[in-house]
Amino acid sequence: MKRYILMRLLYTVVVILGVSILVFVITHVIGNPVNTMLPLQATDAERAALKHQLGLDKPLMVQLSEFLGGMFRLDFGKSWWQQVPALGIVLHKIPATLQLVATALVIAVVVAIPLGIIAAYKPGTLLDRILTTTSLIGICLPPFWVGLMFVLFFAVKLGWFYTSGYGTIRHLILPALTLSVVPMGHLAQIVRFSMAEQLNAQYSITARAKGASDFAVLFAHALKNAATSIVTMGGMDLGRLLAGETAAVEVVFGWPGFGTLIVDTIGRQDFPLLQAEVFLVAVIICFINLAVDISYGYFDPRIRY
Amino acid sequence: MRKTWLTLLILILTVALVAGCGGTAQQSQQGSSSGNASSDTSAPAKDSIVIALQGEPTTLDPQYPDDGNMRAVTDNVFERLMELDGRTLEPKPGLATDIKAVDSTTWQLTLREGVKFHNGDPFTAEDAVFSIKRIIDPAYKSQIAGNFSTIKDAKVVDAKTIQIITDGPDPILPKRLTKLDIVDKKYVEANPDKVATAPVGTGPYQVESWNRGVDIKIKAFDGYWGNKPAIKAATYRFIQEGSTRLSALKAGEIDLAVNMLPEYVDQLPAYKTSDGIEFTFLRFNTLRGPMKNKLVRQAACYAIDRDTLAKSLFMGYANVAQGQMAKPGYFGFNDSLKPYPYDPEKAKQLLKEAGYNGEVIQLVSERGRWLKDGELSEAVASMLTDAGFNVKLTFLSWQEWLDTLFNVEKAPDIMFSSNGNELFDMDRFYQAIIKTGGPQSTYSNPDIDKKIDAARNEMDVQKRLQLYKELSQAVYDDPFGIPLLNLKDIYGMSPKLEWEPR
Repeated sequence: MKRYILMRLLYTVVVILGVSILVFVITHVIGNPVNTMLPLQATDAERAALKHQLGLDKPLMVQLSEFLGGMFRLDFGKSWWQQVPALGIVLHKIPATLQLVATALVIAVVVAIPLGIIAAYKPGTLLDRILTTTSLIGICLPPFWVGLMFVLFFAVKLGWFYTSGYGTIRHLILPALTLSVVPMGHLAQIVRFSMAEQLNAQYSITARAKGASDFAVLFAHALKNAATSIVTMGGMDLGRLLAGETAAVEVVFGWPGFGTLIVDTIGRQDFPLLQAEVFLVAVIICFINLAVDISYGYFDPRIRY
Repeated sequence: MRKTWLTLLILILTVALVAGCGGTAQQSQQGSSSGNASSDTSAPAKDSIVIALQGEPTTLDPQYPDDGNMRAVTDNVFERLMELDGRTLEPKPGLATDIKAVDSTTWQLTLREGVKFHNGDPFTAEDAVFSIKRIIDPAYKSQIAGNFSTIKDAKVVDAKTIQIITDGPDPILPKRLTKLDIVDKKYVEANPDKVATAPVGTGPYQVESWNRGVDIKIKAFDGYWGNKPAIKAATYRFIQEGSTRLSALKAGEIDLAVNMLPEYVDQLPAYKTSDGIEFTFLRFNTLRGPMKNKLVRQAACYAIDRDTLAKSLFMGYANVAQGQMAKPGYFGFNDSLKPYPYDPEKAKQLLKEAGYNGEVIQLVSERGRWLKDGELSEAVASMLTDAGFNVKLTFLSWQEWLDTLFNVEKAPDIMFSSNGNELFDMDRFYQAIIKTGGPQSTYSNPDIDKKIDAARNEMDVQKRLQLYKELSQAVYDDPFGIPLLNLKDIYGMSPKLEWEPR
């Protein structure tokens, strides 16, 4: 197990290095950030001066080696746009997004797992059909639209929550709810289908035959076996959300998080900041994957590392 | 199939029911929470307001960034040597009570006495000189240094007099100074790390707190030298999405919202408009290709129905440019110019005269940078097509668009663009877009180039005005492009607020 984790960590380093170099090369080959940073009427001399100040006139290989040297010290340089260390900006934005994503996933799990189990327990009934249809609709709805509808209804019309902003639970609920819709749909579907599969498996039938209660079959046998696919889907959703998929929802709700930051950064072509963001996202995704893989061993004792 | 419909129906009913129940159960809570807001309404005079900006400032060091969100805050916190008169667009005394040219490259300013910074430091000649030198220092990398590129040096003459030295005659120096915020020398030197977050200026408001990601609060400064403002405190919030700003305004969470869309006006509790500084325009490639022919360019000018664009796309919240990239008040505005009339028949006739026979005309644009830029380009393209042009409209990403804009080799026949004029002076427009070899220029005429440079250094106001009059007429008759619209800024307001945009 220790050896496995060690190998995975080593692997993580390789992935992060690869992603960082890829993003570095792509960003430096496409477009000229100087054009984005200066006003349109800037003179050619002003453009050339800025290019020199940013070190963009050096050969690409020199820039790359400087960047990699900095990365190993966790120093991505100063954000061009904000003039403060890039990693600090990113770390500052992470807690708000974590709070939003965590709340959304908790809502999704609390709603989707029981409903999925019920639907799998009574397949083909009206309830099952309602749940399957709703979860499909949930997956298909664009989050920013859902967000706007929630704002109009719950904030403007009913006044229960704030339309936007950050700070209290009344700020948090609507964006979290909006963000939970898609993972809720995903989870409900995956729970419904993997549970149904497990309930039809030989061991479930055997368990029932020897007189085990429905409750025991559902929770002691089937759920634990279905857990690997549920955790896989949950981990994928978590990674997707943290890697900037929150952006649309954050924009709609004026949420000061990581998602809006990524969008802003790409628009401004702020290379140091972009690199810090990509680095952090890569680290987060690698660790989520690692955690998911390790959890397999817990849910399914046949898996040994 | 029938079962699916039934399922959906039951689903909808359930949702409605749940929502209905929730409504009654939560009603009492709602009453108490909105209580605060309603008591504000009945209060005789509300002296604090909440303003929604489109984004969070990145810094409050007013000399560094090119950032409109920050300007909204720092314009109240800092002052300039000269201030812009919002009506005439001319400079008027600010922290300097008087400005005069001593010789062609030296300006002398008399400073206002009895002015204090928010921390109690008196405003001195040292502060003024320090602020000027700081912003032009290349090591400081100010993003707005371009506004002050003509300033070579500044020096203290005596306690209340300073001199600014320019690298050549610069008639618009007083206007440039309306963009140069004055900082406290002692404070900036002693607290380099606080400058960005806890600014100290001389303005009517001081920054009370900045809760990153949440809001910035300012309050009236008791020691302010001028008239004390009626509104004692303001909170700035940051809401990127326009429809959310609208919702927040409707829900009573904010009192003032910037950048509202024309479509929102019907829903706004109250609103005000002001003329924006951006002029959208089409730039012709006069150097090569079909648009090199003056008649073809003139035909294009006759082909565009500007009034319809303003009315149908912007619901009237846009002014038609008066045949030039300026409006009354801008230095260099030519009041004898009118936009080319909409006359598609004349356009067709001119095309025939020019011997145009259907060569493809590239029209390059982008989407999302300016309000409805994509729709505007599409409308323009279809008008050109109707007049007989074989237009091929291409949308580029912002980065590619910029590359195309600045690279004369890549210049398409027609390019959609926009030009903001912060100094309300025509120098930079002609330097950038008309002068041969200018960064965005696809125009070349040695006579015009001479006039552009002469106007830049002409200290006599009347002579300078005359030069711009000739220039605007010249690029109108031999069109550089088509000035389209000057959009209005729309501010959404709570009905309780009395306010005039500058």
